[in-house]
Amino acid sequence: MSDQATMREPISAREWIKNVWDGFYTTLAGMKITGRYLLQKPITIQYPDERMPIPDRYRGIHYLEQEKCINCLACARACPIDCIEMDAIRHGKELEWVSFSVDYQKCMFCELCVYPCPKDCIHMGTEFAFVTDDRSELKHDLLSYKGMSREARIRMKEAEAKKAAKDAAKAAKGADAKEGDDA
Amino acid sequence: MATEHKPSITFHPEPRQLPGGEREYMMDVRTGDLEVNMGPQHPATHGVMKILIRTDGEMVTAAQPHLGFLHRCAEKIGENVEWLQYLPYTDRYDYLSSMNNNLGYSMAVEKLLGVEIPRRAEMIRTICAELNRIASALVAFGTYGLDLGAFTPFLYAFREREWLLQIFEKACGARLTYSYLRIGGLFNDVPPGWLEEVAHFCDVFEEKWQEYYDLLMVNHIFVKRTADIGVITKEQALDFGLTGPMLRGSGVDFDLRRDLPYMLYGEAHDAGAWKVVVGRGEKGTLGDCWDRIYVRVAEMMQSVGIVRWCLANIEEGPVLGDIAKTLKVPEGEAYVGIENPRGELGHYAVSDGGKVAVRCRVRGPSFCNLAILEDIMPGTLLGDAVAIIGSTDVVIGETDR
Amino acid sequence: MLNPIVTGAALVAEAPAQGGNLTLDLLREHAPAALPGWSLPLITALISVVIVITVISLLAMVSVWLERKVSGHIQCRYGPMYAGGWHGWAQSIADGVKLLMKEDMIPLGSDKALFMLAPALVLGAIFGAFVAMPLAPDFYFADIHLGAFFILGMSSLTTIGVVMAGWASNSKWSLYGSMREAAQVVAYEIPLGLSLMVPLMVAGTFNLLDASAAQSDYWGMGWFVFKNPFVIPAGILFFVAALAETKRAPFDLPEAESELVAGFLTEYSGIRWSFFFMEEYAAMYLMSLMAAVFFLGGFESPVLHVARQAEWHPILCNLIAATTLIAKSMFGVLVMMWVRWTLPRVRIDQVMTMGYKYLTPLALLCALGAALWEAGKAWIFA
Repeated sequence: MSDQATMREPISAREWIKNVWDGFYTTLAGMKITGRYLLQKPITIQYPDERMPIPDRYRGIHYLEQEKCINCLACARACPIDCIEMDAIRHGKELEWVSFSVDYQKCMFCELCVYPCPKDCIHMGTEFAFVTDDRSELKHDLLSYKGMSREARIRMKEAEAKKAAKDAAKAAKGADAKEGDDA
Repeated sequence: MATEHKPSITFHPEPRQLPGGEREYMMDVRTGDLEVNMGPQHPATHGVMKILIRTDGEMVTAAQPHLGFLHRCAEKIGENVEWLQYLPYTDRYDYLSSMNNNLGYSMAVEKLLGVEIPRRAEMIRTICAELNRIASALVAFGTYGLDLGAFTPFLYAFREREWLLQIFEKACGARLTYSYLRIGGLFNDVPPGWLEEVAHFCDVFEEKWQEYYDLLMVNHIFVKRTADIGVITKEQALDFGLTGPMLRGSGVDFDLRRDLPYMLYGEAHDAGAWKVVVGRGEKGTLGDCWDRIYVRVAEMMQSVGIVRWCLANIEEGPVLGDIAKTLKVPEGEAYVGIENPRGELGHYAVSDGGKVAVRCRVRGPSFCNLAILEDIMPGTLLGDAVAIIGSTDVVIGETDR
Repeated sequence: MLNPIVTGAALVAEAPAQGGNLTLDLLREHAPAALPGWSLPLITALISVVIVITVISLLAMVSVWLERKVSGHIQCRYGPMYAGGWHGWAQSIADGVKLLMKEDMIPLGSDKALFMLAPALVLGAIFGAFVAMPLAPDFYFADIHLGAFFILGMSSLTTIGVVMAGWASNSKWSLYGSMREAAQVVAYEIPLGLSLMVPLMVAGTFNLLDASAAQSDYWGMGWFVFKNPFVIPAGILFFVAALAETKRAPFDLPEAESELVAGFLTEYSGIRWSFFFMEEYAAMYLMSLMAAVFFLGGFESPVLHVARQAEWHPILCNLIAATTLIAKSMFGVLVMMWVRWTLPRVRIDQVMTMGYKYLTPLALLCALGAALWEAGKAWIFA
């Protein structure tokens, strides 16, 4: 078996000449193709200076429209590797944000978190590169603010004020009714 | 592995009588075998695979592939995540043909669900799968040139592959792990102008294909390096359960896309859009390395034919079938084998009616095709060993999963 | 048996023709009288060594950069673009500095002395070969009568260094690489020498200066390729054999990166590795210079002919001649690069087959044909 490669059949003179010709001719044919490219303009771009256009659907680092989010955990549940963690304290209708983090050590950019969102508030952006020498920095917090937004606070105050007014009105009404009963 | 040779000197008992009355004593001098670890970090193994070879000088006397460096428990994960959540994992076993992997898994689950896929989704799925087959064959062709020392065809192949990746990027936003074909159809419809770009690609690709063929496939050195090397006979190919280009390279006319037609391949075949490429032993023996690589290269053009047929017949419509948001798959089991660029990719899914699979078995074509190395590598030279490994076109992500 | 060696040694040792070396002449004229007469040839030698080594090192560095640009453009990319500004011209310098700064690693269990000696031997041998290579008609280091012979001998000395490197590295891949190199060089010495016999027969001399001068007729276009039909095929054979001799693709089996990781270079790093790299490019230039002298007319071109006719200053004439020669060899180097980035690698047994069964008979045929042609010419014109 091990003599397979060493024991070659002797070849005929015709085959010998054919080998010489084929070797010569196909080499020249190949050199014609590569030579043509040698004179053409390259197709590559100089990366840090120029960049490839990034399509709209690119699956890069997430961004969150925090105003819309309702902390429903649908994205976190959809994630195959549980890399999304979110936490918020609910004040009636308003949310006080504690955290919304994506662990990019785990994330595989599958976009499965984007589809189930009922409010269409989590997206994948076009940013793809972040470099760090510390692993803990790979856990990104997507929140643009912590706690409650100004609008939410105003809305909450308004709602509280409304509620207080309502309560007061109710209380007044109740008092009236009581008075009426008494009378 | 085969028996080891120790260094030895053997005298032939009978001296030869020379005409002058002298006697000549003959002896065989045999050097010891050298055991070499080819890999896990070796340029020719296409990933982290180790091939333990025993060589007698340049001659390989035994070879044994060692796997498992890239094992990621893909099948076990399949039993622990929801049906749809497993989809991104399928991208990752044969990372060069993610679309086909998505397709295979989706079809297995769809078979359990019994859901009907809209025709437009089927069309786009076919286009994506075939474009991905071209992209995968380009890598196979390019890296094969690289294995044999031709650097330039590799970069030419990657030039076209880059365009394909951009096309995929426009459709789904990813360049390698697509997760685009989902259970029940597609995640998104393709963006406007996408189909036109694919048509343009097909036109340009035809010219470039001819260039590859002239530059590498018929090059005399390339032919001499691959013809008559690593011959797999028809019987051997069938015995080892080879599939895909490895099987067709040995002259067996078998292609799942035609013989067990799924999606629109049967229809396209009946319409004459493509035909199965089978090795013919054109440059040497039937089933040699050249035939295998030729099947891959020629299949690229057939894929272009299928894509063109799909583009001509595509119609408007929805791209997602009637699928619940949280999948509950009815009880049962299903096996779907599809023609991956490397062979038959089988998905065997078992459900107990819940949200998670009970069993998710994958039959990886690279894994099955790799087994033949041990049989065909002994008796070749070290350079041939590289050519043979290259011609099996293994993707280690899939052999190890 | 001994006689030809003695005769050869005597020929080598014979003093160069009077008034040949321009540097020496200039020194004789302009040197201060305080310098003793015997020191002038020594100073000449020193200057020549410095110039030869500088020029060859510079050419090697330029051609490393050129190789990367050529390969880049063949493959539809740019190659180096940043270092130094214009098309990354300083890339080789940057690489050289980086290689100098790298840790000098000697693998455990290697034969230290041989491991350190091998790169020096390789580089020394190839620079030694340049001793016989004239850079201009009046500027040379040594005017050796058996110049072509000397160059072929010295350039195959590098093989010893490569085998040494492979053996000393204590790595199986290195060993494979060096064994391949030894087998390959032995096989290709024969066609290399035989194909060189053809122009040598036309020239009638082993001396590179005389061979170049013999091509100065017909307004500097009396190249050997035009004088004898067998020189053209011999040139192609010489080119192929030179590719194998210099370990260039498609014959780069000793370092076959996809088979043997990096062959005999596997364990080398830093400046030692760069010595091997330098050697490869210097050997490319050496072979291309040989091809330029014996096949492409040496220093001769119509420009030089005109310059000579007009009796320009000898320094200018010599500069023109040197530029012509380097341009011609540059062409050879370019073709070598072009071939490298086109062809796949040949297998080891095919390399042997090609050397012994194809190139050697063809070279013999060429030599026979050329000899008959020359004999016939001599007979007709006698």
